[in-house]
Amino acid sequence: MQIDNNPKKKRFSLLRRLFGGKNELSIYEEELVQSPFRTIISNFKDNKVAMTGFIGFMIILAIVLIGPLFIPIDLSFSEVTQINVAPGLDMMKVPKELQGNIKQISIGPTFSVGISNDGEVFIWGKTRVSSALDVANIPNDMGKVVQVAAGYDHIMFLNEDGKLFFSGNNRQMQSTPPYEVQNLKNIKQIEAGYQSSIVLSDDGYVYYFGNSMNNDYNEFHDYQGQIEKIVTTADGVLGLTKSGEVVYLGNQQNAYTRIPENMGKIVDVGTTANTVAAVNEDGKVFVWGNISTRGEGNPPELVDDKIVAIQGGRFHYTALTENGKIVSWGANNYNQSDVPSGLSDVTVVSYFTDYYQNYAIDENGNLHTWGLKGYLLGTDELGRDILSRLINGGRMSVFIGAVAVVISTFIGIIVGSVSGFVGGRVDIVLQRISEMVSSLPFLPFAMILSSLIGNSLTSNQRVFLIMVILGLLSWPGLQRLVRAQILSIREQEYVTAARSVGIKQVSIIFKHILPNVVSVIIVSATLSFATSMLTEATLSYLGFGVQPPQPTWGNMLYGANNSIVIQNYWWRWVFASIILGVCVICINLIGDGLRDAIDPKSQER
Amino acid sequence: MLKYVGKRIMYMILVFLIMSVVLFFLYNLIPGDPARAELEPLRNKLTAEEYQYRYEQARQRLGLDDPLPVRYAKWMSGVLRGDFGMSSVYKLPVNQVIINPMKVTVFINIFSIIITLAITIPLGIFTAVKKNSVFDKSVQVLTIVGYSIPVFIIALLFIYLFAVRLGWFPVSGLNTPNFSGTPWEEFKDMMYHLALPLGVLVVGSLGGLTRYVRAAMIDALSMDYIRTARAKGLKERVVIFSHAWRNALLPVITLIISWLMSVFAGSLVVERMFNLKGMGDFYISALTNQDYNVALAIQLFYIILALLGNLLSDLSYGIVDPRVRVNK
Repeated sequence: MQIDNNPKKKRFSLLRRLFGGKNELSIYEEELVQSPFRTIISNFKDNKVAMTGFIGFMIILAIVLIGPLFIPIDLSFSEVTQINVAPGLDMMKVPKELQGNIKQISIGPTFSVGISNDGEVFIWGKTRVSSALDVANIPNDMGKVVQVAAGYDHIMFLNEDGKLFFSGNNRQMQSTPPYEVQNLKNIKQIEAGYQSSIVLSDDGYVYYFGNSMNNDYNEFHDYQGQIEKIVTTADGVLGLTKSGEVVYLGNQQNAYTRIPENMGKIVDVGTTANTVAAVNEDGKVFVWGNISTRGEGNPPELVDDKIVAIQGGRFHYTALTENGKIVSWGANNYNQSDVPSGLSDVTVVSYFTDYYQNYAIDENGNLHTWGLKGYLLGTDELGRDILSRLINGGRMSVFIGAVAVVISTFIGIIVGSVSGFVGGRVDIVLQRISEMVSSLPFLPFAMILSSLIGNSLTSNQRVFLIMVILGLLSWPGLQRLVRAQILSIREQEYVTAARSVGIKQVSIIFKHILPNVVSVIIVSATLSFATSMLTEATLSYLGFGVQPPQPTWGNMLYGANNSIVIQNYWWRWVFASIILGVCVICINLIGDGLRDAIDPKSQER
Repeated sequence: MLKYVGKRIMYMILVFLIMSVVLFFLYNLIPGDPARAELEPLRNKLTAEEYQYRYEQARQRLGLDDPLPVRYAKWMSGVLRGDFGMSSVYKLPVNQVIINPMKVTVFINIFSIIITLAITIPLGIFTAVKKNSVFDKSVQVLTIVGYSIPVFIIALLFIYLFAVRLGWFPVSGLNTPNFSGTPWEEFKDMMYHLALPLGVLVVGSLGGLTRYVRAAMIDALSMDYIRTARAKGLKERVVIFSHAWRNALLPVITLIISWLMSVFAGSLVVERMFNLKGMGDFYISALTNQDYNVALAIQLFYIILALLGNLLSDLSYGIVDPRVRVNK
């Protein structure tokens, strides 16, 4: 026992007074009795299982409270190229055999393909493009491959004999070259777009095959025989002519056809999903197309350097300057336009950019990568990162559970204590109401309330509706406990004694009776916190709780209700299930531990 | 006793009426005009005057212009006669629509209840007798996990393990399409389809019940009369089953009956997940399709079930435990 005569500490004795604390003893006195609250705490601390639950819950709580600050969520986010990506951070993990020997890298949405100087093919990243297709299943007898092109869900290979090979999806015939292409001997460039394949021959002819509904391409365009380079956006095909002019090779008049005038001689052209960028001889960059607010249209101004080559990712551009430096602009949601600082003092000789990845090789042959590494926990059916949804959804789940408990505890305490103190008719009426509420079938009733009232509400109002429903339906249990406690305590001698010395009624209630009930309330609130979280999850899972895009642990499982998802996209339900399960288990352990700590009789069980 | 039962039943009816009022007024909060909905298909075929005339007629027929209490009285008298109105999705009277799902739900639940009780009661008694043994401790941990995990996660796990990975059981449905055979074969086919949902229901309710039975049994075992019984030299089996268990039964019965009622609500999730055309699945579809007549009918069914459960649990006190005389 430590002697503590610091007067400052005594001011903070409100809590101690509430929970029946007493004055500190000096070292000469023997401690005879321990306050009930201390006993509870020390009992709880001794309970290893309960402490494990407590620590586990605190960790989860810290993650969901602090996590959203670091991993914010964009509710309107969806990305069609990143749908159902398996967990893992290997999207930019270039195989060791390839490093230092890279001839070309081509990048797809979730995978990359590279060829070495010896013509060997390496594929890394998430190569399963659908439940049945894997782009890593490449043809065996390709020989020495000299060029690769990765598209949305297929890869094209060109070997030294000028023969084409494909892997991946062929539903739009993007992997089935027409007869004339099969016989071509002078292929100069291959380009794979969104379910389309394009072949450019030495004499400037363009051959297109694959999805012709989504991509606007005119087979009989005016520039056959003049094309030097082919680029594709998500829905269009453009070419750079041998005379340094950018031309659109489709039928329609659209944003891509609004090519800026007087650009001068164009040396390179690159594309993002919706925009085109061209670099002229003076290093000036022109960007047109459907420019978004992500910043593809704002190339940086360079002082004594000029851009000589440009490539586009999904929503960003990366360009190479005359001095071998890399500049990048546009969307940065996966840090894809954050050029690593290690590149500032080396000269880049070649680089590859597409979708969300960038690879650059410096003069020493070292490989630098930046952009999207992958998703730790995978992505869902709209391409949203499951980790960020888990963290942000956890905050919502915990918040809803907590507010529901506060509501139900508040009602429970008020009704229970009024019922217990006042008694008589008030007691009878309140008890009948409580019985009525508790006899309601909880889940169906919550569902009908949510669907009848929730029809006309905004999503935020719906969240509050769920809390209120949960709170309003779950108070009777606590009410009964509080009432029973108060009824028994009211008759005890110390209350009678307090009354007989003339202590005020209010004072009796708050100083003598409530502290004895607090422990019961805490246990009940803890256990009903767990129940509330479970009910919220069930409601949301069934589609009657919080509506997407606002995530909660329950509604993240909403789409997992079929065997295809359960089998092929296991990460969409496993992680949310685990964290929800662990969180509720932890809370239940805490509740059980507290109950054991408070009620020594139950410890014998 | 009879007087008490009569009083309880009167009280039940009162609660039922109050709940029906609450539901009815909630129901009337929904924006929408049933008369207009009824005439919607004819809208283009009728002239404006004709449409207006038919619309007025429909409003009058459906009684939409009456004050709320009158409408409630009309609806309630219909409900008491077993007429819940028309289902707007199936275009059939509600009681015809819900009779089949009701059979499915009752069937599933009776089976799962029997299985669950057959497992939990022996398990609870055994763990209580072997208190603090390794077996008991591991059951304790498992039951905490069991009641902390929501039914739908258990169902996802079961589907993944037994249907997807091992391929033992079908994922959904109540029987093989176009299956024909002897009644016994049909029953076997149905049980084969129901194996997973029943498993999920049983596992889902195992945790809480086992803990409860165990706690009640431990309470009973710590009583003085058990010591007396043992001191008399009674066989341990007799002590446990006729001295302790009879006394532990009282709290257990109460819990089991209230649990029976919640099982019906719990099978809602399972029916949804395994695509069983039961009440729960029907209820969810009715709510999402805004077929509120059906939803209300099912909700009333749930409420009646809950009230009956309360009555039963009150009465069962007297039956199980002769000490408790229910004659307040």
